[in-house]
Amino acid sequence: MKARDTLGYAFGAIRLRKLRSGLTTLGIVIGIAAIVALLSFTQGFQVAISGTFQEGLSTDVVTVSPGSGGFMGFGGESDFVFYENDTDIVETVDGVVISAATVSNTVTAEFELMDRMLSLTGVDFAAYEELYSTFTTELGEIPASPADGEAVIGYYLYDPWDNGTHLVELGDTINVYYSVRNGTVLEPVNLTISVVGIMEEIGSFGFGPSDTGMYITIDSALNYFDTEEVDSLAVKLESDDEDFIVAISEEIEELFLNEVSVTSATALLGTISSVLAIVELLLAGIGGISLLVAGIGIMNIMIVSLMERTREIGILKALGAKGKTVLAIFLAEASLIGLLGGIFGIGLGAFLANLFGGMMGGFGGMGGGGAPNGAESFMSITPVVTPILAIQALLFGIGVSVLFALWPAYRASKLMPVDALRSE
Amino acid sequence: MSEILQVQNATKTYMMGEIPVKALRGVSFSIKKGELVSVLGPSGSGKSTLLNLIGALDRPTDGTLIIDGTDISTLNDNQLAEKRKQVGFVFQFFNLISRLDAKANVELPLMISGISRSERKERVTDSLTKVGLAERMTHKSSELSGGERQRVAVARALVNRPAFLLMDEPTGNLDSKTAQEMMDLVVKLNEELQMTVIIVTHDQEVSARTPRTLRMRDGLIVSDEVN
Repeated sequence: MKARDTLGYAFGAIRLRKLRSGLTTLGIVIGIAAIVALLSFTQGFQVAISGTFQEGLSTDVVTVSPGSGGFMGFGGESDFVFYENDTDIVETVDGVVISAATVSNTVTAEFELMDRMLSLTGVDFAAYEELYSTFTTELGEIPASPADGEAVIGYYLYDPWDNGTHLVELGDTINVYYSVRNGTVLEPVNLTISVVGIMEEIGSFGFGPSDTGMYITIDSALNYFDTEEVDSLAVKLESDDEDFIVAISEEIEELFLNEVSVTSATALLGTISSVLAIVELLLAGIGGISLLVAGIGIMNIMIVSLMERTREIGILKALGAKGKTVLAIFLAEASLIGLLGGIFGIGLGAFLANLFGGMMGGFGGMGGGGAPNGAESFMSITPVVTPILAIQALLFGIGVSVLFALWPAYRASKLMPVDALRSE
Repeated sequence: MSEILQVQNATKTYMMGEIPVKALRGVSFSIKKGELVSVLGPSGSGKSTLLNLIGALDRPTDGTLIIDGTDISTLNDNQLAEKRKQVGFVFQFFNLISRLDAKANVELPLMISGISRSERKERVTDSLTKVGLAERMTHKSSELSGGERQRVAVARALVNRPAFLLMDEPTGNLDSKTAQEMMDLVVKLNEELQMTVIIVTHDQEVSARTPRTLRMRDGLIVSDEVN
């Protein structure tokens, strides 16, 4: 029997049992949709993360923060504190090019249009420039010998809506404040800032300078925050080789008696990637389970179909159909169900992924100024349904259908024509 | 005339649970090209078993059964299936596939044989014309009368250009008038197209219309008469 005729015959059989075939197909649709939605969503997520990472990533820079161990530098409790001149100690380590202390706090800036919480960071401009290639201005310049209160700001503070309406212009003077408790009242501590530089757009995720951050000199910051302690040291190494980073990191940790932890962007990227991989695996697993259920549904419909059509199989065999012809007809039915389910599943999956993506995007947008280094709390995610993903999903749908139809189809093919014809 | 079917000492034993049942106890006969033969016997005489063997649906337990030069007792399942294409089987209960129309039912054996679309169309039309159903080609089998269904079944049996036509109780489900018409058609096919026809029946009226009758009883052929 020719393939085209086999498919035609199988399609006729499916069409006859519209409701039952439809419900079975629905099982495949749901399974494939789940897998496509989840995978395209995680892929979109990865694209979003690595995209922003690549822009703002200085792979040869590590961050040294107080506290030992803990995930990504958080969680380790320690009384250890850094001071500004600890950079001198770090710079004694072989392989360290330069380091800069940073101190950061959340303040409220009184712009003309609105008040906004943002992260005010004190850094050594010259060292910071050398540390991070992203610390460079689009407008104005980074002052070589900055005066007290001269600030460089992130691009999103300048053009937050991306439509030409600027929150602040170069050369503007604004007031920022944070509050301290004095008895039972909160008193603002003010600082007058003049904007001397606006950074280039960086991207929202990564180490170092941020699009939503405001940067003043470390001395001004320490003075303004009324402290001598700094948050962390950014350290530039001679190489971004992974083994080299690990070796130097250990050396720095020992230097500070293991009271500090060293985080590198490369390591963080690796961690995020592996976490994402686990999440992806989990989500795919959920989709896999729904496909398994769909597969059992297919096996069920095929066995019922086999019983109902025993006589038909007998007729086909009596007319000269070989076992493999009957096998092919049954597998063709399953493939068609898988194909239909796959096509609709991919469509539905892409739709759902975009729906989720849109919802997630809603939580993102502006904000998240309080996070360390000013990283944005979320980013917009565009789910990616690549042709490869679509083809894989389609093949997977067909594969599952065929796999579960194998046994019923084999049984059908082995029916003896005499017995099959006798059945009512 | 050459012999199209030779049966030599064929036996068939079924197992009914633990007990062996001898349905055929050693049957021998041969049929020549162009003959119209009836196999007559009451139920339980073994004629259905013989029918299955002649139709290449089953193999004999012992003995030989040669269809158009091939001993089917030596064939495997696939070869047996291939052999069935040379037998035009007309089933007692028509055995049409109800979701297909007359045309598609007749086309089925050709489709199984992998014959091209254009040739199929031609042969289906030809076959349905032979049984006088050219006008009802696109009717579903559920829309056809019993006699018409039986004729579709005959057309389906003819379409593969079989070595012989094998009919199981061709009039069993038809009223007497339609049965008469059916037999007229069979005789016509035999006389005009020299189609070899073997009819298995318990109906004396049917066997009366065939030039030769084999009578069966208890798994044996008890007489081989020319009417």
